[in-house]
Order: sequence, then structure tokens, then C-alpha cells
Amino acid sequence: MKRPVLILLLGLAVGATSHLAYFQHREPASTDTLEGQLAWMRTELHLTEAQFTRIREVHQASHPQLRAMSAQVALMRAEFAEFEKARRTTDRVDFLEFARFVETRRDLNERCKDSTRRLVLASAEVMNSEQRERYLRLVASPAAREQSLAN
Amino acid sequence: MKSLPPEDPLDPLLDRWSQLPDPSPRLAAEVWQRLATGRQRAPVERGIWATFGTWLERPVFAACFVAACAALGILLAEARLGRVERERNAQLARNYLEMIDPLVNHGEPSEIRS
Repeated sequence: MKRPVLILLLGLAVGATSHLAYFQHREPASTDTLEGQLAWMRTELHLTEAQFTRIREVHQASHPQLRAMSAQVALMRAEFAEFEKARRTTDRVDFLEFARFVETRRDLNERCKDSTRRLVLASAEVMNSEQRERYLRLVASPAAREQSLAN
Repeated sequence: MKSLPPEDPLDPLLDRWSQLPDPSPRLAAEVWQRLATGRQRAPVERGIWATFGTWLERPVFAACFVAACAALGILLAEARLGRVERERNAQLARNYLEMIDPLVNHGEPSEIRS
């Protein structure tokens, strides 16, 4: 009875080893950088070399500005949290300062939306209709995006 | 002249054997029934594991079993990869949106329409 047990264990060991080896070999690498993101887009949207080059240029050109805006948005959020904290603790609000803050934030939001829209449109312009449709679904509202990813 | 063989202790017992009672009239039927029951029970009593163990004793079957285990491992890895790939794609899409839209990163997604 020893031999069947040995073969059973050998089978389990071979199965587990093949599973781990195959998974590690094929496991996708993580892509947190701009290049990684663009490489993913290339695969996802089946971009040609020329399309990819143009899209990379567009993204690289707008990347510093978008990062700066992102930092500004974070700053404004922190500022808003300060306002809220002051209102709760002192029960007083500097309406002039708050109005200025709201105005700045509205302006920043508009600039953010505008920059993003221009980047999306510039990228979409390079794509064919099928790629464009898929791309716009990806960058549309979160609900639409989730729907698109589920399909 | 031949001498008589010594008396065997079994002889009285064998003498009594001749006085056997008549067999039951259902003897034949009972014997066949027992045989049939024995035939039915035999494979069950062996058990699945015992049968599998016997099969594993055969080199060809053992090799097939190990190969099947390897194939199953790869199949499961492929299924796992598919799930990981879907999750990764969803994450990459979120990351991309955060990268191109500063407002998304801070919980204020802007509507981007063509």
C-alpha cells in the first residue's frame, strides 16, 4: 500500500509545483508609472505603434501640469478641512475668506476638467472609432467605467 | 499376513456422520441466495480507495495520474490568472483616471464627455 500513497503524494506535489511555476511565469507585472499605464492602454485598446507614440507624447506633455493640479487640489482639500475645523471649534466663519476659497476652488476645478478633457480629446483624436469608443467608456463616469470593465 | 491398522480416534466421529439429518428442503435456494449476495457485496467491500490504490500500482495509470495532476495545476493557475488579470485591468483603469483627472484622486470625479 506504500506505493500508491507515494504516487498520490507525488501527484499532489507535481500539481502544486506546476500551478505555482505557471502562475509566477505568467503573472502580470505591476505598472504604476506613466509608461506602465500607457503600455496597458496600448494593449487594452490595441494601439498601433504610431498611435502609441502620439498618445505617449500627448500624455507626457500634460503629465507635469496634471500633477501640479493634483497637488493643488490636495492643498485645497486640506484648506477646506481647516475651514470646517475652525467653524466647528469657534462657530465663526470668515465669509470673505471662504468666498475667496470657493472661487479659487471653482476655478481650479474648471482648469482640471479642462486639462483632462483636452488630454482625452487629443488622445481620442489619434484613435479609430472603435478604440475611441472603448477609451471614452474607460474615462467616462465611474458608473459607466465599472460597466465597461465588467463587459 | 497383514496386521490391522491402529484404531483412529476420528473413526467414532465418522461413524456418527452417517447419521446426518435430512437437509432442509430450501438448502439449494439458500445456497444460491448466499452466492448472489456475496457477488453483490464483493465490489462494495473493496472500497473506492482500495480500487484506486490497486490502479495506482500500475505504472501506466500512475504516470497518467501524475500528468493529470500537473495539467490540473496549470488549469487552476490559468483560471487564477484570468481573475488576477481582470482585477489588474480594473485597477489600471482607476489608476489611469487618477493620473489624467486630478479631481478623481480626491473623490471629486469630473464628467468627461466627448
